Amino acid sequence: MRYNRGSKRFLQQTQKVMAKFFNKTSLYLPRLSLAALIICLVSGVVLAFQYRPFGNVFQNVEEITTLVPYGFFFRRLHYASGEVFAILVLLHVADYFFRSAYKRQSFFDWFQLGLGAALCFFILFTGFILQGGLEGYFAGTILRNLLELIPFVGSAASHMVIGRGHAFYFLPYLYHCCFLPLGLVFLLRKHIRDWLPDWGSMTVATMMLFIYALAVPMPKALPPGAETSFITGPWFFLGVQELLRHFSPLWAGLFLPALFAALFLSLPALSGVWARVARYTLLTGAGVYAVLSVKLYFF
Amino acid sequence: MDRRGFFKKLRWFFYALFGAVLALPALSFVTYRKKRTRTVVFTVSEQTDHYFKQGVFLIREGEAFSALSAKCTHLGCTVRFDQHKKQFVCPCHQSVYDAVGKRVAGPARDDLQVLPVTLRENRDIEVVVEV
Repeated sequence: MRYNRGSKRFLQQTQKVMAKFFNKTSLYLPRLSLAALIICLVSGVVLAFQYRPFGNVFQNVEEITTLVPYGFFFRRLHYASGEVFAILVLLHVADYFFRSAYKRQSFFDWFQLGLGAALCFFILFTGFILQGGLEGYFAGTILRNLLELIPFVGSAASHMVIGRGHAFYFLPYLYHCCFLPLGLVFLLRKHIRDWLPDWGSMTVATMMLFIYALAVPMPKALPPGAETSFITGPWFFLGVQELLRHFSPLWAGLFLPALFAALFLSLPALSGVWARVARYTLLTGAGVYAVLSVKLYFF
Repeated sequence: MDRRGFFKKLRWFFYALFGAVLALPALSFVTYRKKRTRTVVFTVSEQTDHYFKQGVFLIREGEAFSALSAKCTHLGCTVRFDQHKKQFVCPCHQSVYDAVGKRVAGPARDDLQVLPVTLRENRDIEVVVEV
């Protein structure tokens, strides 16, 4: 009896501690991610003074890394802060999802935030292209050809995102440096006001990212002329890349991701059994996507 | 609807109309792309079997030449030629084509594009490829 009472108290205490921990995590995730976004924007502005989206872009990026004073540091800082921002956004979204916090959001607000999260990954994708390596070139080519498959507006859409020949990097550059960050800040404007990082979060994020940028080298990009039998896109695109090996590009590259996004964005509008079905479908989809990514990368 | 409300709605209608009239030329301007081609020249020393240059593979069968675009017909990555297996392989999604560009396996549905070759007077071979 005493044992039972003791274990119950222990369980209650553990639950309390866990709830406190997760509440704190829920509070700090958006603050830290916004701190990473600020560092990413600032380092991006610095890099823009030396980056040229024309000519031999790969060589330009190599020169920034090896020749320009502190270029390696700003590149690493920009890369790391961008990745950290995206990962923290993903965790923040997952946190909201598991706590069903979207129920408190209006459909319009949730839609804006979801679109913002998607934009954040599109910014990472354009950044991946702008490295100028073989992987970036192929990623851009695949994106352009996928967009071309959109019924009726495909050709126009692909022309609006990626150019050809010597202008290949120019439009992704415009999107990466201008349109997408502006769009992101606009979509997250309320969130930014609510979750503007305090000095503590800002200091922690800056310290961690500075140490990371000084200590950890970036993954090396393949030069554009390199010969390779296997190449992978950015980490968040691996699942799509695996799907593209087995299904038609229209389904694997456009319809399935669009369906997933549409289901996710419509969460606050669903209720009852439909809400449960949507939740389980999204969870299963995310699980399958993770498995596909691991399969492509390791096997 | 009162007069003020009607004129307010009318004003918005004209704004929308003006936006649409402006959007169409803007969209045409933004999405216009001039068709560009690139001429790839293979000098005599480069006229070996499956020689790769600027997105084109030159295929030599005896004294006959043909050219293949290196662009994978699945999603446009550049294929590489595996000398041991005598196959073209796409590094992005592993589409496989045989030595003359016929699709063998993988997600691609079409063969590699055959490009017209022109023999110049100085025996250089010229291939025009769309960029």
